[in-house]
Amino acid sequence: MSFAYKLGASAIAFAVTAGMAYAQDASTFWAEAAKPYQGVTLHGVTESTPPSNYVKDVLAPEFEKLTGIRVDIETTSWDQMYDKAIKDMEAKTGIYDMVYIEQDIIYAYLSRNFLVDTTKLLADKPELKSPNYDEANFTSFANYFRGENGDLYGIPVEAFIKTYLYRTDLFNDPAIQAAYKEKTGNDLKPATTHEEYTAIAEFFTEYGKENGLDLWGTTAQAHTGHPASWYEFVESIEPTFGVYNWGIDAANNYAATVENGGRMNSPEAKAAMKYWLHLRDIAPPESVQSTWTETATTMAAGRAAQGLIYGENAAWIASDENQSKVVGKIGVAMPPLSEGVLAQAEAGEGYVGYYDGGAFGIPVTSKNQDAAMLFLQFIAQNDVQPDWALAGSRITNNATYDDPKVKELDAKLGGYFTMLKDQGKLYAGAPPYPFHAQVREAVAPIFYDILTGKIDPDTGLDQMAQKTEEELTALGYRK
Amino acid sequence: MHSNRLGWLLLAPTMIILFFFGVVPFFYVIWVSFHQWNPFAANPNMVFNWASNYRQVVFDAQLLASLGVTFAFVFFAVVSELILGYLLAQAFMKDFPGKAFFRTIHTLPLIMAPIIVGSIWKLMTTPSIGIIPSLVQSWFGLDLNIGQSAAAAFITTVVMDVWHWTPLVTLSLIAALVSLPPDPFEQAQIDGANKRQIFWHITLPMIAPAVVATVFIRLMDALRTVDEVLMLTGGGPGSATRYIGVHIFKEVFPRTNYGYGSAISVVVLYMTIVICWLLYVGLIAPRNTRKG
Repeated sequence: MSFAYKLGASAIAFAVTAGMAYAQDASTFWAEAAKPYQGVTLHGVTESTPPSNYVKDVLAPEFEKLTGIRVDIETTSWDQMYDKAIKDMEAKTGIYDMVYIEQDIIYAYLSRNFLVDTTKLLADKPELKSPNYDEANFTSFANYFRGENGDLYGIPVEAFIKTYLYRTDLFNDPAIQAAYKEKTGNDLKPATTHEEYTAIAEFFTEYGKENGLDLWGTTAQAHTGHPASWYEFVESIEPTFGVYNWGIDAANNYAATVENGGRMNSPEAKAAMKYWLHLRDIAPPESVQSTWTETATTMAAGRAAQGLIYGENAAWIASDENQSKVVGKIGVAMPPLSEGVLAQAEAGEGYVGYYDGGAFGIPVTSKNQDAAMLFLQFIAQNDVQPDWALAGSRITNNATYDDPKVKELDAKLGGYFTMLKDQGKLYAGAPPYPFHAQVREAVAPIFYDILTGKIDPDTGLDQMAQKTEEELTALGYRK
Repeated sequence: MHSNRLGWLLLAPTMIILFFFGVVPFFYVIWVSFHQWNPFAANPNMVFNWASNYRQVVFDAQLLASLGVTFAFVFFAVVSELILGYLLAQAFMKDFPGKAFFRTIHTLPLIMAPIIVGSIWKLMTTPSIGIIPSLVQSWFGLDLNIGQSAAAAFITTVVMDVWHWTPLVTLSLIAALVSLPPDPFEQAQIDGANKRQIFWHITLPMIAPAVVATVFIRLMDALRTVDEVLMLTGGGPGSATRYIGVHIFKEVFPRTNYGYGSAISVVVLYMTIVICWLLYVGLIAPRNTRKG
C-alpha cells in the first residue's frame, strides 16, 4: 500500500468519523440544550403569511418533537401583529418570547432597545449555541437586522423582492403579439421603461374590454384607506423614478420639501404619482380596495397581465393550482425604470425596488430568552430552509439557492430565485428611520385625498412634504 | 349590620376588578392626555405639556372633519335602526307562519363579532367579486365601488351598522311592547282613536323609556365604532369614513401619538356624556316633571 493511498484512506476515514461525530453532535444537541427548559412554552406573534404559517405549522412542531419545548406561534394581520408586539414590549408585559420584525420597523425597535442582541447572547452562553448555527449562513439581507455594533438582533425568516410579474402565456401569444405590434409599433416584451409599461397596461385593459374578458393591463396596490397604497408608492414606484428613501434626506436635517433639500415633492415624485394614478385607473376595479394580499389574488385569478407583486406570493401564484389560475404562466423581470436609475442602483447610490422581509427577534422583556434563542437557531439551520423556501418563496440562507428542489421551483417561477440571488443587491429595504408609522400616518389623509382625486397630485405632494417636515419637527428629529 | 358587611364582601371582587380595569385606566388616560408622549419620538419619554393637546383638538381640521362624518353616521344609523327596529318589533308582535324562525334569523347578526361583520361586508362589496356591486350593477346599472366613491362608502357603513344592530333595537322594543297593558288601547279604540293617534298618544309615550334607553346604547356604540369600519374601508376612501373611533385608533396605535390620542378620547367621552344628557333632558325629564 503506497503512502499516498494510506494517506487518502486515512483522510476519508477521518472525514467519515468526524462527519458522524458532527451529525451525532448536531442531533443530540437539541435534546441536551433543551433540558433546562422542559415545560416551557414559547409564545411568538407574527403576520399571517406563507413563511410564517410554515413556522407555525411545520417548524414549531418539529422543534417541540426534538426538544420538548412547546412553541405557540400566533399568526394575525399585519397591523394587529404590530399592535400586539409593540404594546407587549412597551408595557413590558413579557407575553411574547419572539416577535416578527419587519425590515422597516427594526430601526424603531432598536431605538427603543426592545430587542435582545442574539450575537452577544450566544457569546455569553456558548452552551446555547447550536453546532449548525452560523451567522455567516445568512444572505446579506441579515445585515438589515444588525445594530450599530454589528451584532444581529433578529434571525431572518423571510426575504423577498417586490418585483415585476407578467403573464408569459399572454406575452408569448402570437395573435396578441401581432395585435400589440399593430397598435403600438413595438414588440410585446416585458417593459423596461415606464412608457413601455403604460403602453402594455393600456393595451391589455383595452384587449380585455374588447374581448369581454376579465383582464386588465396591470395590478395596483392602491387601497384608499390602508397603508399598503403608501408603501407601493414610496417603496416600489418612486424609486423607479429615482426618488429614494421616501424623498426624505436624512443627512440634510430630514428635509422633505424641495426648498429645504428633500425630494418628496420633486418633479420626479410628481411624475411617479401621475404615472401610478394612471395605472390605477386602468387596473381592475378592486385595486382601490387592494392591499398586498388582494393584489396577489388579482394576479393569481388571472385578472391582470402584469404587476408589481411581493415575492412572498410569487411561488403560490406560479405553482399552486389550488390557489392560482396562472400556474406555469408567470415570468419575472426587473421593474420598469427611468433613465439612470439602474446605474445609480449598480453604484449603490439608489435602488430599483423594495427588498422586503423580516426576522424573528427576542424582546428583552421575554421571560424565556434562552429557550427562544434555541428555537431561532433551529429555524435558521440550512437543513430546514429548502422546504420552507418551497412553501413561502423566501430565501434567507446562501446554501438554499443550490438545493435541487429550490432550483426546480425556480424554473417554474420564471427565475425568481435566480433574480433574488443575482439582482437582489439592486433592491433595498426601507430607509433606516425610527419613525416610519408616525410619518406615514401623519401624511396618510393627504395621500388618500390624492388617490380619491380630492386634491391634485402636485398640490398633494407639496402638502405631504410640508406635513412630513412638521411631523419630524414635532417628533424632535428635524431641528 | 351583618348583612351589610356580607353585601360589601360579595360586591368586593367586582368592585376591585372595576377599579383596576375601569377607574385606574380612566384616570391614567386623563393623566396621559396632559403629556406629549410618542415612544418613537427623539425623546420617547412623557413630557408634561399642560393643556396643549386639548388646544390642538380645537384646531385639528382632520379631527373636526372626523367628528362631522361621525355625527352624520350616528344620526343616519341610529334613526334608521330605530324606525326599522320598531316596524320589525310590531311585525313580530303579530302571529304569522314561521314567526319563530324569522325572529331567530333576524337576531343572528347580533351574535357576530364586529370584525367578522366588517370582513363579510368587505367580501360582499369588493368590486368584481362581491354580490352587492353585482346586484347594484344588474338592477340599477350603477358601478358601486366603495374604495372610490365617498358617498357609497358612507352609505355602506350605515347599512352595515343597521344590519348588525337593528335586531338589538327590535328585541328591546318587543320587550317594551309586550309589557304594555291592554286597557288604554281598548279605551282608545272605544273612543274612536285611529292608529296614528294611538301610536302618538299611547304607544310612543308608554314605550318612551325603552326607546330612550335603546337610543342611548346605540348612540354610545355608534360613536365609538371602529372595527367594522376599519375592516371594511380602513376609514376611506380618503377620510370619508374616518369616524372618530377610527381616527383615535389611527392616532394612538399606528402613529403611537399617545398623549394627543388620549386627549381626543377624553373629549369624545365628554361629548358622549353631554349628548346623552341632552337627550335625557329633552325626552325623559319633561315626562317625569309632568308626572310629578
